[in-house]
Amino acid sequence: METWLARIISFAEQYPEIAKDATTVMRWVFVVLAAYILLVSIFSLLTTRCTPEIWGYFLVEDGGNFPITHWENVIGRSRSSDIHIPLKTMSNSHAILSRKSEDKWVIKDLGSKNGTVVNGFPLEPGRRYMISLGDEIVMGGVHATVAPASLEESRNNEVMRRLDKEPVAPWKILVAITLFQFLTIIQLILGLGDKITLSAIISILLLSAVMWTYVTVFKAIGRKGFEMEMIAFFMSTINLAVTTSFDPGATLKEFIALLMGLALMIFMCIYLRDLERTRKLKPVLIGLSVVLLILNLLLGTASFGATNWIEIGNYTFQPSEIVKLAFICVGAGTLEELYNKRNTIVYAGFSLFCLACLALMSDFGTALIFFATYLVVSFLRSGDFSRLIFTGAGAGAMGVMILKFKPYIASRFQAWGHVWEPEFVDSMGYQQTRTMSFGAGGGLLGLGAGNGSLKYVGASNTDLVFGFVMEEWGFIIAALLVLCLITLTIFAVMSIIAGRSTFYTICACGAATMFLVQTMLNVFGAVDLFPLTGVTFPFVSTGGTSLLTSWAMLAYFKASDMRRNASLAVGKEEQRA
Amino acid sequence: MRKQEKRALICLLIAAVLCIGVVVFGVRFVRDGGRWASFYGNTQIYTDGIINRGIVMDRNDELLIQCAREGVTYSEDSTIRKATIHAVGDPAGNIASGAISIYKSQLIGYDILNGTYDTDQSGKKIQLTIDANANVAAYNALAGRTGAVGVFNWKTGEIVCMVSTPSFDPYGYLPDDEDSSYYFNNFLDGALTPGSTFKLVTSAAVIDTLSDRGKFKFDCDGTNEFSGVDFTDIKTHGEVDFRDALAQSCNGAFGALTRKVGAAKMKEYVRKAGLVDPVEFDGIRTAGGKFKFPSDDDVTLSWAGIGQADDLVNPCALMIYMGAIANGGEAVQPTLIKSATFIKEITGGKSLGRYLDEDTANELRNMMKYNVQSNYGEENFPGLDIYAKSGTAETGSWNPDAWFVGFTDGANDPYAFVVWVKDGGYGSEVAAPIARTVLETLEADE
Repeated sequence: METWLARIISFAEQYPEIAKDATTVMRWVFVVLAAYILLVSIFSLLTTRCTPEIWGYFLVEDGGNFPITHWENVIGRSRSSDIHIPLKTMSNSHAILSRKSEDKWVIKDLGSKNGTVVNGFPLEPGRRYMISLGDEIVMGGVHATVAPASLEESRNNEVMRRLDKEPVAPWKILVAITLFQFLTIIQLILGLGDKITLSAIISILLLSAVMWTYVTVFKAIGRKGFEMEMIAFFMSTINLAVTTSFDPGATLKEFIALLMGLALMIFMCIYLRDLERTRKLKPVLIGLSVVLLILNLLLGTASFGATNWIEIGNYTFQPSEIVKLAFICVGAGTLEELYNKRNTIVYAGFSLFCLACLALMSDFGTALIFFATYLVVSFLRSGDFSRLIFTGAGAGAMGVMILKFKPYIASRFQAWGHVWEPEFVDSMGYQQTRTMSFGAGGGLLGLGAGNGSLKYVGASNTDLVFGFVMEEWGFIIAALLVLCLITLTIFAVMSIIAGRSTFYTICACGAATMFLVQTMLNVFGAVDLFPLTGVTFPFVSTGGTSLLTSWAMLAYFKASDMRRNASLAVGKEEQRA
Repeated sequence: MRKQEKRALICLLIAAVLCIGVVVFGVRFVRDGGRWASFYGNTQIYTDGIINRGIVMDRNDELLIQCAREGVTYSEDSTIRKATIHAVGDPAGNIASGAISIYKSQLIGYDILNGTYDTDQSGKKIQLTIDANANVAAYNALAGRTGAVGVFNWKTGEIVCMVSTPSFDPYGYLPDDEDSSYYFNNFLDGALTPGSTFKLVTSAAVIDTLSDRGKFKFDCDGTNEFSGVDFTDIKTHGEVDFRDALAQSCNGAFGALTRKVGAAKMKEYVRKAGLVDPVEFDGIRTAGGKFKFPSDDDVTLSWAGIGQADDLVNPCALMIYMGAIANGGEAVQPTLIKSATFIKEITGGKSLGRYLDEDTANELRNMMKYNVQSNYGEENFPGLDIYAKSGTAETGSWNPDAWFVGFTDGANDPYAFVVWVKDGGYGSEVAAPIARTVLETLEADE
């Protein structure tokens, strides 16, 4: 293999015109392949909506029957109740009805005015009561009962679900990504010449192999939806190309981190299937996060102004990245938990702790990501818009304080919007102007992987990676990468309709917010739409911990994918017939 | 769950912000990409701060400058280098209107699709409209004096000669001071006392406003005292009519004519002649002119009407005005970049609008011909159908500035020209021969 590589390099050196022509053609091929891979995946993800599963019926005397399409349901007078009973005697949110298993349900009165009575026994508000199918429930004079979905109804629902549009088959996309990866290797050899290393090439080949193995194995056990993984594998390919162009010696390490992330994602997907099990993990996650952050504060090493790294031997990692995963899980909750004050306080306290630690580390970019995620998750939990604004304003005031005490950050704000002015162009605006200049130099098609020059600017493969991709891969591919993350968000929001538990949907929306805010800070910071904060672009920025976390985060999206047999984070549908 | 459905829309809001941000950046990318890419911080196209690709040629494919990774190469001929440096520009960018500064993004071959990607990385070729030989002729004729020579084709707008002195050899000593007069392009950026060349503007106003100009008579006694001030002429012209007043460049007569026309009309005509506002073409913006015509001070008004007082004119604008007279009153925008000329030859260059009525332009044209016949001598311009006006501008220096402006007509040589020599002396003696030399060189190059 080494001689084969040497032969290509010497050929390219001997015939530079041919090498140049190859790049000229490949630039087009890359854009076409990328557009195909991503647009097909995005289209499939956004058009294959699913019919909600029916878990049972809520039968109301003289009032018809309501199909229960979620594991967790609010019963009440409010129009936004899942089981909407418009009677004056009902409270707005009267009670919560949750499914525990095929024939076990839990009911909890939410402190309603007229109370809830089950089989003649008045329920204490705020306590959970196990009920069985057929038990009589009286709420504000309404007599009701939970009934199983009849065999016929189940079959009809099953037929409906079978008629849902199937996710796109992964094979064509796989071939396209593989072709993309092979051409990337060739382009990197042409671009980097003898600077390329064998380990970098092998890493990209291994990525291809891992991708095929993943899809083949899970396809074999009956899984169908792979769009999100395809998007992630594609973005990871760009990551490895960027990493190689920047430093071919680092590619293998990056690939290993990716592998760990993929393993963690599979593990999390399987773990997330069981809601009770996941809920119980929360205190453990809080504990681990606290330990990690405190270790970071004690042992952390500084890089670009922020002390957010821990060094162990030859390995460094960013604890705050790992804590992101826990942060989302802790913020999520079942419908019952959302009505539980203590749960909300624990989440707020944990958030405050994380933010304080990040502030002490001077990692304000990550702090901003955590804070935005906290705001969105809190809003999803409480729906309290005024509190959202209030908290946001409070944080804004804190931000102004930070600017006063941290002149380094204040100076970044000064340069914001003025980076081209002579005063900043070679100082505080250095990175942004270079990002835009080299990025514009890439045009729509890019200069070809390995041919860029932004890599000689500090943090180009992390904070400025948007410009790095623009220069080497072109504006079209860079914009498509952003589109990928927007797609994941739209999917997360859409999935709520068929969602089983608020836990999963909050997880998905929280993860989406985290991705979005991170992308925003990364892209906007690099091109002077926002002060440069120095955060990574999910999946694309070089950095083991960042890539690992991005992959693991994907589990939260997978867990909200309710399409029939689509996601490995959802137990395979039992044959109920 | 249904509540969460609605609340989750906030995520879409954030996604929308991200989307809008990328679109905003995309718009800027399309609009400013060329400027960003040609920024000096882009080491793809700059080596040690000097642009590293692209070629600039003259209209006859004579190499003027070649930029490569190995460095910048100018013409082999040192006179060509000195005669074209203001048109070509220096890599350090001290000459603001030099081609390699202004046409950077074209030179590096930037386009939105490919960015700075170029199959052989040698960049693009830019062909200027100037003729290196004509520039050399002008540079030699200026003979070390400070000055400016500009010639353009008044039909197509192509600037065929543009020289400014003092000049320098880019291979030789480069002044450190970026404001040095060596870097200054007198033709594009100068604002100079026009002297008697300005009588062509006053004449246009006279033609349009004084219908009885045919009866105009002025008795020049050489001193021409008015309100206690002498409007002295070189010699005593005796009795002159309007036509001879221009041909003899009689200050006394033109002072009187200016007073007849009045301040308001003079203001109107100097603007109509395009001498006030800066001219913009091909990314270049010339200096504007400055004129004051007081309505309550006939002495100053008279001086202003004969191109003295506070009058300041930009040579390029004056050249365009000459082109407008030649072209029946319609001015053509100059250009420095050579493009598909066969279209321009048919349709003409881009119009800057009508400066003068056709009749006015034709009368001026005849008068300028008469200037040559009666004063400068047609025999001094063999083979040229030339129309002109000289100027000798008093600037308070030891010697007046010499001017010679006008145009030639003919299928092959529709050229309007302006020659200015600082402290040169008499326009017709000093500047006219320079014009002749340059025009003859152009003729020979056709």
